[in-house]
Amino acid sequence: MNATLGYLSILAAVVGALGITVRGFIAMRDPERANKGYLGLPVILFVSGAVGAMFFLELGLLTDDFSIKYIANNSSTTTPFLFKVASGWASLEGSIVLWGLVLAGFTFAVYARFFRSESGDRLAAGALAIMGLISLYFFGLMATISDPFARCVQTFSDGVGCVTGENAILANVISSPIEGRGANALLQNHWLMALHPPTLYVGYVGLSVPFAFAISALLLKTTGAAWLTRTRNWTVFAWMFLTAGIVLGGLWSYEVLGWGGYWAWDPVENASFMPWLVATAFLHSSVVQARRGMLQSWNFVLVITTFALTILGTFLTRSGVIVSVHSFSQSAIGPALLIFLVVVLLGSLGLFASRAHTIASSPRLDSLSSREGVFLFNNLLLTVFAFMVLTGTLYPLFVEAFSDSTVGVGRPFFDRMAIPLSFLLLLAMGIGPVSPYRAASARVVWERIRWPVRVALGAAALAVVFGYRNSFLLLGVLAAVFVMGVIIRNLYDAARTRADKLGIGRRQAAARIMRGDPHYWGGQISHLGVAILALGIAFSANLSETATVTIDAGDTVNFAGFEVTYEQEFSRQEPGRFVTGADITVTRDGSVVGTYQPRLNQYGNTRESIATPEVDTMFSGDLYLSLRSIDPSSVTLEVYWFPFIWLIWVGGFLAAAAGVWGFAVKKPERSVARDDTRV
Amino acid sequence: MSDSIRKIAAAVVTIGLAVVVVIGLIQGDRTDEDRARSIGSRVKCPVCQGVAIADSPSETARAMMDVVEERIADGWSDRQIIDYFAERYTDSIVIDPPFSGNTLLVWLLPILAVVAGFFMIFSRRKTPVPKPDEVKQ
Repeated sequence: MNATLGYLSILAAVVGALGITVRGFIAMRDPERANKGYLGLPVILFVSGAVGAMFFLELGLLTDDFSIKYIANNSSTTTPFLFKVASGWASLEGSIVLWGLVLAGFTFAVYARFFRSESGDRLAAGALAIMGLISLYFFGLMATISDPFARCVQTFSDGVGCVTGENAILANVISSPIEGRGANALLQNHWLMALHPPTLYVGYVGLSVPFAFAISALLLKTTGAAWLTRTRNWTVFAWMFLTAGIVLGGLWSYEVLGWGGYWAWDPVENASFMPWLVATAFLHSSVVQARRGMLQSWNFVLVITTFALTILGTFLTRSGVIVSVHSFSQSAIGPALLIFLVVVLLGSLGLFASRAHTIASSPRLDSLSSREGVFLFNNLLLTVFAFMVLTGTLYPLFVEAFSDSTVGVGRPFFDRMAIPLSFLLLLAMGIGPVSPYRAASARVVWERIRWPVRVALGAAALAVVFGYRNSFLLLGVLAAVFVMGVIIRNLYDAARTRADKLGIGRRQAAARIMRGDPHYWGGQISHLGVAILALGIAFSANLSETATVTIDAGDTVNFAGFEVTYEQEFSRQEPGRFVTGADITVTRDGSVVGTYQPRLNQYGNTRESIATPEVDTMFSGDLYLSLRSIDPSSVTLEVYWFPFIWLIWVGGFLAAAAGVWGFAVKKPERSVARDDTRV
Repeated sequence: MSDSIRKIAAAVVTIGLAVVVVIGLIQGDRTDEDRARSIGSRVKCPVCQGVAIADSPSETARAMMDVVEERIADGWSDRQIIDYFAERYTDSIVIDPPFSGNTLLVWLLPILAVVAGFFMIFSRRKTPVPKPDEVKQ
């Protein structure tokens, strides 16, 4: 029942997406047709289909409908409610259903905008057509090679789970499993995993909106700034979610994986980081186009690249190519995504090339030392950063594919490249926002960064005096404090001037200034978040302490100024897992800091146990206890001390949330939009 | 206090602070523990997915880290220890690609991208005589 209705929903979405594509293109060519009703029907059909697909998948999960293969292999009767829901996107087929649902949400949002705009909005009609095409592809996948509602034709002898593909020898034996194989153990271990993928997907898929508008603009040969200014809020919205999604992923691996790491330059992480870098470059360069009419072609390139990178990311994480190029052929979705990627790239870059003559040649740079100049530098750094990550991620695959040898490219490579790039980015972040447009004299810029430079030097000198000699820490403090100083001085100075002029309080003046230019100040708050994050990385990466300790029951060991005592072992049965753990008491100078229960969880469907570390966040840092092995008489723990690591999460979420300021705050008075481009 | 004295004082303070920071930077120290971590971060854990032995809690990685610490105590150089692992497993276990051979390109490509990018930016500077079609509308 669920399977039939779910599959029918997918078919409805396919028809709806086809309708949006066809009617969208017709409406794009014919302004008379570009009205509300013409596109309404297919949009409604498409959205209902996408919602229906997710609904019936979730319904099947919650009612333990093991006649569906996906559910039999990704859930079980004992899976807790939250993780049953999350299983809807935990595995390949389900994740594409979620992708489709988010895409439907954005399609509906674009349609709602189109519905409210005046008749004859050909740009939005064309954008809807492009979104329809993308939707057609993803729902086409669901209807064919990645069917989430495929029925289970054969179960194992114990009736648990569903036999897949290559193992189905007795394909004529039809029987339905009596129990599911359960959710992925790593997924079930922490509630963050329920949050991280949807957040990331909203970011990923949201970036298809500016892409769709860009392609529509190219098709219509209206290559001015309209597509860009109209999609600005969507870009910021998607960027916020992408940022938050990446930070959530880092927080998840920190809380779950048990080695205290939050970022490993793992290909899956890189896959989400690359579009973030290019989308960030795009956010910045779109300001240059909006303000100065420059970089029009470049913005097309960036938005196309961003979208292509989201598809590449999906391909890398979903095709199995990462484990080895040789596992690539085993999944049907890999080649399908690769073909889509090639079509997107060839199609959009070909279109871009054929429309190049219609793109107004932009005014040239007056001077490299100007706000535009720093923006260009920022774009260079961010795109090179993305290119470096791309090279490092794909290089081993290419070597393996084209020669007999294998090579490894990992963290040391990425760190060595990323650290100097990040320092330069922080530097640009400090200087850029206070550099005037057109031409910035060194004197004006120095005047504005003088105090922040001194404060930053003072902070770093203080660290030296306190005995810190780690160069990355010192440079990190220098750069991060500099950026924070510039932002604070900038606001303080402006508020003082405004307050004196209008005779109002400085706080009131500051609030007015920040409301008066929400895009600029939203960006500044975001920069503040990035600087805080950088500080968190500098502290936790360079001053962390770690030890492996074995403690006999009742004994105490010293670690980083703490006394760690092993009290006793405990174990209990929880829904879906068996938990073994240690009661640990930690004191400092005799007073109790806390009692902790680092655990090992044994899930029914996996042999290896998965640790749940205990993390205690204090002001000066995190005490992190991870259980390695335990028996009643002794326990072996990994203990870590990460100074100020919470700054990473605070900074990261602040950077993401700052986007709200950029589009939710209404300007008090309407300013005349400057549009230096021809439309 | 006259303006010029204040300026000079500010400059002296700024330079003074900078000198302290530079001294701190030059004095960077490196303990055996740092060395072990740095070597461990350059060798992949053979039983994990894309994580270095310094970052993995698995038994295999722990045992390999112990080997690293023993070798450091025995006076081996970083290079010798890494080569030892590359020989025992495969070259791909070293995730710090050397700046030579078939991993030279992975270093060169991003560097080339920087050079190309700078070239593009500099070529975008205003030419003395603007072309006619660049007149703003």
